[in-house]
Amino acid sequence: MIEEVVRYAGLAMLVAGGFINLVGAVGLIRFRNFYLRLHAATVSTIGGTFYPLLGLALISLSTPELGEWRFFMGGSLLTAAFILLMLAPAGSHALARATHRASVARPEPVIADHLEEDRGG
Amino acid sequence: MRRHIVLVSIVLSVSALAYATTYLGALGPLGFDTRLLAKLFLVYAYNPGAPELTVMSPEAVTSIVWDFRGVDTLYETVVFYMAIVAALAIYRGIGYSSSGVRGAGLSLIVRVVTKILIPMNVAIAVSIAAHGHLTPGGGFQAGAALAVVSVLLAVVFSALSFGKLGVSLARAVALRSAGLLTIAAVVLAPVAFGVATGIRGFLMQNYVKLDSPLAFPTHVSGQLISGTLIWLNLAEFFAVSFGFFVIFMLLSLREDVVREQLGEEHEH
Repeated sequence: MIEEVVRYAGLAMLVAGGFINLVGAVGLIRFRNFYLRLHAATVSTIGGTFYPLLGLALISLSTPELGEWRFFMGGSLLTAAFILLMLAPAGSHALARATHRASVARPEPVIADHLEEDRGG
Repeated sequence: MRRHIVLVSIVLSVSALAYATTYLGALGPLGFDTRLLAKLFLVYAYNPGAPELTVMSPEAVTSIVWDFRGVDTLYETVVFYMAIVAALAIYRGIGYSSSGVRGAGLSLIVRVVTKILIPMNVAIAVSIAAHGHLTPGGGFQAGAALAVVSVLLAVVFSALSFGKLGVSLARAVALRSAGLLTIAAVVLAPVAFGVATGIRGFLMQNYVKLDSPLAFPTHVSGQLISGTLIWLNLAEFFAVSFGFFVIFMLLSLREDVVREQLGEEHEH
């Protein structure tokens, strides 16, 4: 019973990840400037890769046919998901920060730029 | 309209090619000899029943790379060695001085995440190298994985961090040379042993041959180490990773520092 619940939760996460990937791809094409597109790319990495990895971990852990190997697979998937959860925001943060400092992508219109205000610009 | 024509023609030609190659059999029957060759490699990669033909490694790719065609891989390593020698020759006389370089690196967030990541990266690289004879991977892949650390250090913590961590160009070159010398020692060991004892030994010999009883130990306390493969993988790991370290350290030199030192050289 509990295995069924865990497996369907994992499958739901997989499907949700696919949908989020699609949304992220549309956003990457349709959004207007660099920062908004970066947001769409991050939606794809976190929502479209982190959730499916968690879902796959749940599916593999709830499949007794895999034997002891399911812990190996589930653990690897959880580790990969954790590393991704840590790295993707750091990467997009570094990109956004470097772009802002170099002023190479000026969004139009700018409604609020607290980073510029803090720097006294 | 033109885009639609391009799209339709791509779809049509791909489907026609797919139909022709699968259902019509346009490529002809699959070559029997290719399959036979693959079967031979798979059968003899780990086969204690045929000791004079086997490599004693369940990883068929590593068996091929470091034993069946080992000399080929040896020359690939030499080519990589020559590339690094060329890079060092181009940058000769240019020191890795930190004068006038201010380096704070990227923001705190990225630095903390990288600090967590680098030990994992080193552990994964060592694991890939040490399991090269059991799982996909091997010395070169592990070296490339460790080389990522040098790029991360240069980009995230600035090129000054090499000096802080005690990684200098001279040390990287020395470690890379140590790896290459280990490869040479493993390759030449059977011949040297054969010359010393009067038994026939071959270059890069791993396990017993029909006319040579020499063999590297295949097991250490019950663990399979596959004779020469683990030593060659670990030595290649050192040679490749520190070779990449040299390259990336040279590439992370600031342009104005290099120009300054070059200018001084020309004035002499």
